[in-house]
Amino acid sequence: MARLRSGASVSAWLLAPASLLLIAGIAVPLCATIWLSLSPNVLVHFDGKGLGNFQYLFKSKYYYGVIIRSLRIAAEATVIALIVAYPVALTLRRMASRRASAVGLAMMLPVLSGPLVVVLGWMILLSDGGPLLAPLTPYIGRLRIVGSETGIIVGIVHFILPFTVISLASVLRLIPENLVEAARSLGATPLEIFRRVLLPLSLPGLLSAAIIGFSLAASSFIAPHYLGGPADVTLTALVAQFVLATFNGEMAAAVAVLLLVLMAAIIFLLSIAAARSVRT
Amino acid sequence: MKALRGLGIGWLVLVLIFLLGPTLVVLVDSINSATSFPSPFEQATLRWYRALGEHEEFLDAAINSVEIALASSAIATLCAFLGGFALSRRRVRFGHAISTAMLSPLFIPEIVIGLAILQVLGLVALPLSMLTLIVAHAVFVLPMALRLTLSGFSRFDFGLLDAARSLGANPARAMLAVTLPILRPSLIAGFTLSAVFSFVNLPLSMFLTTPRTATLPVVVFAYMESRIDPMIAALATLVVLIAAAATIGVDRFLRIRILD
Repeated sequence: MARLRSGASVSAWLLAPASLLLIAGIAVPLCATIWLSLSPNVLVHFDGKGLGNFQYLFKSKYYYGVIIRSLRIAAEATVIALIVAYPVALTLRRMASRRASAVGLAMMLPVLSGPLVVVLGWMILLSDGGPLLAPLTPYIGRLRIVGSETGIIVGIVHFILPFTVISLASVLRLIPENLVEAARSLGATPLEIFRRVLLPLSLPGLLSAAIIGFSLAASSFIAPHYLGGPADVTLTALVAQFVLATFNGEMAAAVAVLLLVLMAAIIFLLSIAAARSVRT
Repeated sequence: MKALRGLGIGWLVLVLIFLLGPTLVVLVDSINSATSFPSPFEQATLRWYRALGEHEEFLDAAINSVEIALASSAIATLCAFLGGFALSRRRVRFGHAISTAMLSPLFIPEIVIGLAILQVLGLVALPLSMLTLIVAHAVFVLPMALRLTLSGFSRFDFGLLDAARSLGANPARAMLAVTLPILRPSLIAGFTLSAVFSFVNLPLSMFLTTPRTATLPVVVFAYMESRIDPMIAALATLVVLIAAAATIGVDRFLRIRILD
């Protein structure tokens, strides 16, 4: 008994540095932000503490539009990334561990190079007279991608794709090849193998890839900033505007808290779906 | 079946081109002699790299970024090692909740982490400093370090520790002589990837830097607000080379398999 207790207290000590870091670096700071988000400010007046800032954000047509746009962009980018990533993960499933991992790491190279580098690349590639669009101009006319919502989505899909591929591939690789072989020997076509074996077994992985993809997409700041137009403001850009342009800490806090709550709600729904898909 | 596999490989190649394309054009444009930017390739030149040397603000900022990246990754890796050990060794009460909490910074937008830290410092009237940035970055890279450490521990045989103890090693010695060497590749990989993630991150630092502590992404961001030119492409190329060295190192020398 004494031994057991000492084991538990050793665990507590080992977990202490990480806990301390999380408390000092996230938990306490977030409390400050939540506190400020409930406070009146130069833009929204009310007495004491309250939800006035949030009411204001939802009532204003402009800010409501920002909220909807952010969610729409994040959702669209996540769905596109999952559709693109799934066949890639299926291919990686059949590769040797060494090679599949090397491909996964190669995919991470743009993420590790940082969003500024990648955005610079997109600005070169997608600029009006750039190498991608200039040859197409005679056929499709002048297509504007940088400075539009499409630009933002391209940038975000590009950013979240490696994460969705890696999380899908690591789940798909766990599905034993025997199952697939068994289905094939029973006469299943590739489509049936996909629909009745691989897809159901990878559903939890698909949902966790959706969670990771969506949260990274909703968090994204640099792609919307550079690849979107002035009208395509997202919630993260709004946080930056309130801090750097109008110096309104309370409203910045309210937008940040709203973003977190929306993300938490969607992640919660997806994880319930993931839990269900494991059970059935 | 063969045709299907061919399609799969073809799709994989297309996706790789999509993913690496933007980085590659930056490399090409960094050695393009054309002065207007962006423009078609004219001649190879290294003049933009030389031009970088005249901008001391980039070098100063890079030094800040390196210091922050090394310090924050060291803190995160240490926390991840100790915490990962505790979480893997035995069933800890609330173990699942604790590991979820440690991975949670992954799901919080960096810009929100930066804002929250700015605001708590404002409320308690503390000034911004290098330490602020180091804490923000350490929290942000903790999930990365923890994931690699946990996957290292998942292959670790804790029976080895009992063996060391029965041969007379005290717990600290067993940790240093047995656990640490076996976990070393995972720890180095976690540290390296964390350091690179910290080095290139902008939104975390955006609200937290002063002119003296400005990080490289913050300075580049400020520069890119007014213009983009081939010199920025040259700087970006250097960052890509650092990232490439890190990925190749993790794959080749540490033999970390990120998909298993």
